[in-house]
Amino acid sequence: MKHAFVLPALTLFAGMGLAACLMSPPSSYAQSAEAASSAQPDSNQQLLQRINDLEAKVKQLEQKQSVPPAPIAVAPAPEAPAPVEMPTVNEVAPRLKLAIFGDVGAQGYNGSDTSFFFGSFDMFMTARLSNKVSVLGEVLFLPDITDNSIGVDIERLLLRYRHNDYFMASVGRYNTWVGYYNTAFNKGEFLETSTDRPFIYAFDDFGGVLPMQDLGVSITGKIPSGKLGLNYVVEAGNGRAWGTNVEPAQNRQDGNTSKSINGGLFMRPDKFSGLQLGFSARHDNLTIPGPAVHETIVTAHAVFINSKYEILNEAVLDRHTLPIGPAFNTTGFYSQFSRAFRAYRPYFRYEYFNAPSNDPVYAYANQNDYAPANFSGFVGRLNGPSVGIRYDFNDHAALKFQYDRFSLRDLPSENGLTSQIAFTF
Amino acid sequence: MKKNIGTLPLSTTLAISGVAILALAAGFWMTFAAPSAEAAGDPIVVIVNASNPVDSLSLAELKKLFLSDRSRWDTGKAVAPVMLAPGAPERVSFLKTVCGMNDAELGKYFMQAAFTGKSATPPKEVGSSSAVKSFVASSPGAIGFVKALDFHGDGSEGGIKALKIDGTAAGDAGYKLKM
Repeated sequence: MKHAFVLPALTLFAGMGLAACLMSPPSSYAQSAEAASSAQPDSNQQLLQRINDLEAKVKQLEQKQSVPPAPIAVAPAPEAPAPVEMPTVNEVAPRLKLAIFGDVGAQGYNGSDTSFFFGSFDMFMTARLSNKVSVLGEVLFLPDITDNSIGVDIERLLLRYRHNDYFMASVGRYNTWVGYYNTAFNKGEFLETSTDRPFIYAFDDFGGVLPMQDLGVSITGKIPSGKLGLNYVVEAGNGRAWGTNVEPAQNRQDGNTSKSINGGLFMRPDKFSGLQLGFSARHDNLTIPGPAVHETIVTAHAVFINSKYEILNEAVLDRHTLPIGPAFNTTGFYSQFSRAFRAYRPYFRYEYFNAPSNDPVYAYANQNDYAPANFSGFVGRLNGPSVGIRYDFNDHAALKFQYDRFSLRDLPSENGLTSQIAFTF
Repeated sequence: MKKNIGTLPLSTTLAISGVAILALAAGFWMTFAAPSAEAAGDPIVVIVNASNPVDSLSLAELKKLFLSDRSRWDTGKAVAPVMLAPGAPERVSFLKTVCGMNDAELGKYFMQAAFTGKSATPPKEVGSSSAVKSFVASSPGAIGFVKALDFHGDGSEGGIKALKIDGTAAGDAGYKLKM
């Protein structure tokens, strides 16, 4: 509205200024007219001569134009220009696009020293190799909580072929479609409302339960379903390795011949814009000392996101079965609700996680860096609320404060406060 | 030196005064008349290439096309959405009505889409309504939108045609896409 008023007002003042200039006394014009009157006869002669010359030239040109021009070969009309792709992230080369995410902050939990922290430095790259083929790479720099060193991780490296909306295949290292959160929010805390991911979705290379990355093939696409908006995901990969100081994603060599298979369905109905409902099921044979363990992971999610509200709900069942003997079920869920008030977005999350202490697989787990200080690995129960607020300085940086209170089985409760600045550029 | 004032002929003075009055009138018109041309409630016309057999879209379909959730028309042509640069009133209204977003949210949507591995391409941005129409006229799969005042609708703008939205044409009662 301000611009709508200012521009016409300026125009009005400009018009008034122009009018004032035009109406001002033309004194200089009058003076020069007097001075010029004495030289009038000579000037008239010169002007007449000039007019005669110009008339002669015009006649010459008219004669030339009357001769029909030689036919000129008409070039075929150029094809319509291909739609120009607008970069969503910085275009640093004709093909390469780059976005960088990072976060820093400070954190304090009872039972551990309050610290400033460097969260992550995430370099995300995409490049289109042809109309249907593209590559995606993500290099992640992360601090190691055990020795404060900063390690480098190739988080993702994918070659993608998109045939159409119904079929897109990717080969390489990918984020598994186990639940909603892992693919919707990987690293890059700027995109997340909260300061970190729910405990159930802790990264596997930092001791998390679920396989968050895998090496193999991922196929996704729509299912013709009209207004129902159905989509599918099918993944086949090396699966997850277990063991102390072992990289979970088997980047070069699979520990066994069987492959992990994951399948998922989700729907985004036209009638409820912002709603997504889905589930996934994954099977893998885990190689640990002793008999092979069958792992089945089932997830379900109901998510609603629009510009004002964000409502995330997910539940996970991770079941380990031995050839003979009992099954071990790890369960977890979280619910997160937030609402935007302009640049502010307060949020609340409640999460629950419960892993059996006698599960044979978890004996070979890495220490979980996401666990509170008193929480040994991820064996046991953890549940509690988190409340926080996010403030977006602008479109590229956000400040977050989050308070966590977790109840732990057979251990004192944990209270923690985290502040974080997350940004992208 | 004394300035020579008032030596201009009366006819010239009258002519210059006329121009000045016209300039003032133009300023007045631009101040008070022009805003009404973009008054709230004016329809936004969705246009596609004239060769596109589609004549009508729902708001939900429109959202999919502009958010890169659908990449091809039924004819197989690649969808190429185009819109004015951020800040244009028709763009603000369109994003709010169709996508439920503002410019910043649109940018974040495509950033997140890229980060999560979706093959999503944001709409092409151009600087004027005539550039939108020109792009749509020259690209078989293009789709764009302009305010009704910028669309003649009399067939004089070759290569483009207007679509109905949810079964109603711009200007009809119940047309949902307005500024």
